[in-house]
Amino acid sequence: MPNPFTPIMQGMKITLGHVFKKPVTLMYPDERPKVAERFRGLHALKVSHNKAKCVACYLCPTVCPAKCITVEAGEDANHDKFAAKYEIDMLRCIFCGYCVEACPVDALKMTGEFELANYRREDFIFSKERLLEKK
Amino acid sequence: MVTLTIDDKQVSVAKDATIYEAAKQVGINIPILCHDKKLKPFGACRMCLVEVEQMKGRLIPACTTPVTEGMIVRSTTPAVEKARKLVLELLLLNHPLDCPVCDKGGDCELQNLAYDHKVIVNRLNDEKFHHEIDYNNPLIERDQNRCVLCGKCVRICDEIVARGALTFMNRGIETKIGTEFDGPLNCEFCGSCISVCPVGALLARPFKFKSRFWALTKKKTVCGYCGTGCNITLGVKENKSVVTTIYDENQGFHNGQLCVRGRFGYQFISSDKRLLTPLIRKDGQLVQAAWDEALSLIASKLKEAGSAAAALATPRMTNEELSLLKLLMVKQVGTAHIDHSAGYGHAAVSEGLGKSLGVAASSATILDVQKSDLILAIKTDIYETHPVVGFEINMAVKNKGAKLQIISDKRGKLSRLPGANLLLNKPGSDVALLNAIAKVMIDENLAVAQPTPELSAALQNFTPEKAAPICGVTADAIVELARAYAAADKALILFTSGLAYPGADAQLAHAAANLAILGGKLGKEGSGILALQEKNNSQGALDVGFIPAQGGFDAQQILAGCSNGSVKALFIAGENPVVSYPGQAAVQKALDSVDFLVVADLFLTETAQLADVVLPVCSFAEKEGTFTATDRRVQKIAPAIPAVGSSRPEFQVYGELIQRLGGETPASRAEVFATIAPYSGINYNEIGEEGTFAPVCLKPVQVVPVAPVTTVENGKYMLLTGAALYHCGTLSLKGEGTMAVCGEAYVEISRPDAVKLSIADGDQVKLTSAAGTVAVKAIISPRMQEGVLFAPYHFADAPISSVWSGAAVTGVTIAK
Repeated sequence: MPNPFTPIMQGMKITLGHVFKKPVTLMYPDERPKVAERFRGLHALKVSHNKAKCVACYLCPTVCPAKCITVEAGEDANHDKFAAKYEIDMLRCIFCGYCVEACPVDALKMTGEFELANYRREDFIFSKERLLEKK
Repeated sequence: MVTLTIDDKQVSVAKDATIYEAAKQVGINIPILCHDKKLKPFGACRMCLVEVEQMKGRLIPACTTPVTEGMIVRSTTPAVEKARKLVLELLLLNHPLDCPVCDKGGDCELQNLAYDHKVIVNRLNDEKFHHEIDYNNPLIERDQNRCVLCGKCVRICDEIVARGALTFMNRGIETKIGTEFDGPLNCEFCGSCISVCPVGALLARPFKFKSRFWALTKKKTVCGYCGTGCNITLGVKENKSVVTTIYDENQGFHNGQLCVRGRFGYQFISSDKRLLTPLIRKDGQLVQAAWDEALSLIASKLKEAGSAAAALATPRMTNEELSLLKLLMVKQVGTAHIDHSAGYGHAAVSEGLGKSLGVAASSATILDVQKSDLILAIKTDIYETHPVVGFEINMAVKNKGAKLQIISDKRGKLSRLPGANLLLNKPGSDVALLNAIAKVMIDENLAVAQPTPELSAALQNFTPEKAAPICGVTADAIVELARAYAAADKALILFTSGLAYPGADAQLAHAAANLAILGGKLGKEGSGILALQEKNNSQGALDVGFIPAQGGFDAQQILAGCSNGSVKALFIAGENPVVSYPGQAAVQKALDSVDFLVVADLFLTETAQLADVVLPVCSFAEKEGTFTATDRRVQKIAPAIPAVGSSRPEFQVYGELIQRLGGETPASRAEVFATIAPYSGINYNEIGEEGTFAPVCLKPVQVVPVAPVTTVENGKYMLLTGAALYHCGTLSLKGEGTMAVCGEAYVEISRPDAVKLSIADGDQVKLTSAAGTVAVKAIISPRMQEGVLFAPYHFADAPISSVWSGAAVTGVTIAK
């Protein structure tokens, strides 16, 4: 019959070892996690020359498996195409990043923003204004 | 037949087929950019290169090379693939890669080919084009930078539309598709060029940026405008709104070819001006109401009116709906007063052909146009009222060598076709002219059938010499036309009828039918008479029998009855008499004075504004049923979108009213369809995409036509009414596309008259007749004769019906 204290001692050894290691727990929200560079958080519409780069090609709503993106194109004064409406329903989004991958003009990116909790359902629908990249 | 081998498959094709067509027959798709089924082979894009065993050493374009016996063709060898890839690289050298913002993306043949042939990088490098994009017109956007110079737009505009608005300009690298003097596009905006453009060089502006092609649901249906019965494909976005029409070269007898109304006039379907709820007049105001309230009010009022009730319906409704409305009015309400198209609008067919041919339908079909040797067109307006039939005439003349003879009171596009012989007659003298032709045929022993003594006697006064001054043409021209008509093996008479053409009445139909009977032209392919009726289901309305029964009032009598109190309740289903019927003041008074007026329509029309109850009903894109084209082709439609607002299909509305009046509602549309006598041999459920022709059994009788005497007081102008190319009835006024190119009422005047009256193009002029006055824009038109004016009848803001009281020719004065 093996010694009944051996497993206990082994367990204690591991516990004791952690006492001297750096703690894993983050004191959120006082402490902030360091988000990886390629983390897929809240989307942002990139801005160039003071307007969104998005040309409303509809590839992101087409590729989106969760069907959470709504785009409506408009024609500006120069007869060019722009996104008159660009909405992402974060309640439906699965953060797969296909939209970013599909974008032919590199107009969309995913930021490290992960704090997306809200009180009302409609607040999860991110309009174009809310999605525009903050500089 | 010629037998050849393509990619180890044996195929037998007609000897005039090309390799491309032969390959298509065995399901081998040779990539191509410059080919369309309707167009002649051209060989511009060099994508369809194939290897032919017998012509080794070079690659052969499949689309222009005719097949020969024993030919061995290979379409996918490495050499062919390599050549095609190079062709694509050369095309993409100058083609901008702006697919994300190009509306053609997803439907683009160049995009598809680049994908299929894996053209990912370009070995070559060159600057893109910097052509200016043409935004000058509201319907067609021309971006020459994207053009691949396949020439399809140029060819369709020339070969089928016969407009020739586009052409190749310049040479070599500078070649582009140009317009006249390189200015803005000056054409009739049928959009055929857009439909065939393989890339995004030509785009429909009303659809610009509305949706991506792949997000659209394609719904096949039948066009709801004129009687041609063209098949169209509607592009539906989010199962909600119709945002475009989609081209399909394999659709219908017309191979997807559409006119400006069919292609650009769809906006009325998903218009935000559509009626959404029933309206009931309370304290003089139309207020929203529930269906139940509206229907019970209508049921009680109709019951109360009984035999003093009447109905006017639009021939835009389906056969089943017209049948059901007839059942409601005749059986449940107990009235015989039902009619459509102002009564005279259908007289040419219902009464004219009904007596002359023994059946109220045309003897020929639209398919006969291209099989004919001689086409006798009465009035060039055929092109305006039925543009797709006009395209058929053009193809018959240009491709099949048909002779075109025209009798018309104005010139038009048809009279400019090659070899067209126009007899420019005085307005209102068509019957006299046709009688004179019949007289010549009899006198010169050209008639196959023996004329009846009554007809011979009646035609005594119509010798060419006597008719010539009445008609304003030379006697020789009449004789020549008669000889040509009699000599043609297959001769087809075409005329257009409808609300705007009171001159196309029973007498004209009799006179035309007599020619066909005397000439022995009935019952033969490519021969006979084809009456082009105005609305999509005009023929159906006659087949259903939506005309006054014995003792019933016709449309004019119904309106008179409203004024004098013999009609107590009037049900207007879709018609807009205030605008489209002649004699606006009288119509308005009639509708004002009738006790109870119900209007069922898509919009709050000028007529609906006078109603006591307004019912919102569905457009053709929201309902099921059958339409009968003018040549008795019965075609089925299916809903493309759900009903707008709380509008309901008329079928449901009438069914419910029948129920409320104690009747039994037929269970299905098929059941109602089975009760329509002329369609007894057709099974509703078996009507396919191509439709089914209902049989026409001819019992020709020579009826003596009475030629009307047209006189206009001295010094007055002869005002002709008619239809504009861009409109059909008043429905197209709700289509933004058609309104963008033809948005206001106008009158056409000849140049000499305009000079005499010092009227400039675009001036506002006042037309005054005995009936009233109207102010419209003047357009100086080379097609008008001196002393003759022409005005389309569609427009509500300056209705021509305020000066026109239903005469074929109205005497008017014109002043600035």
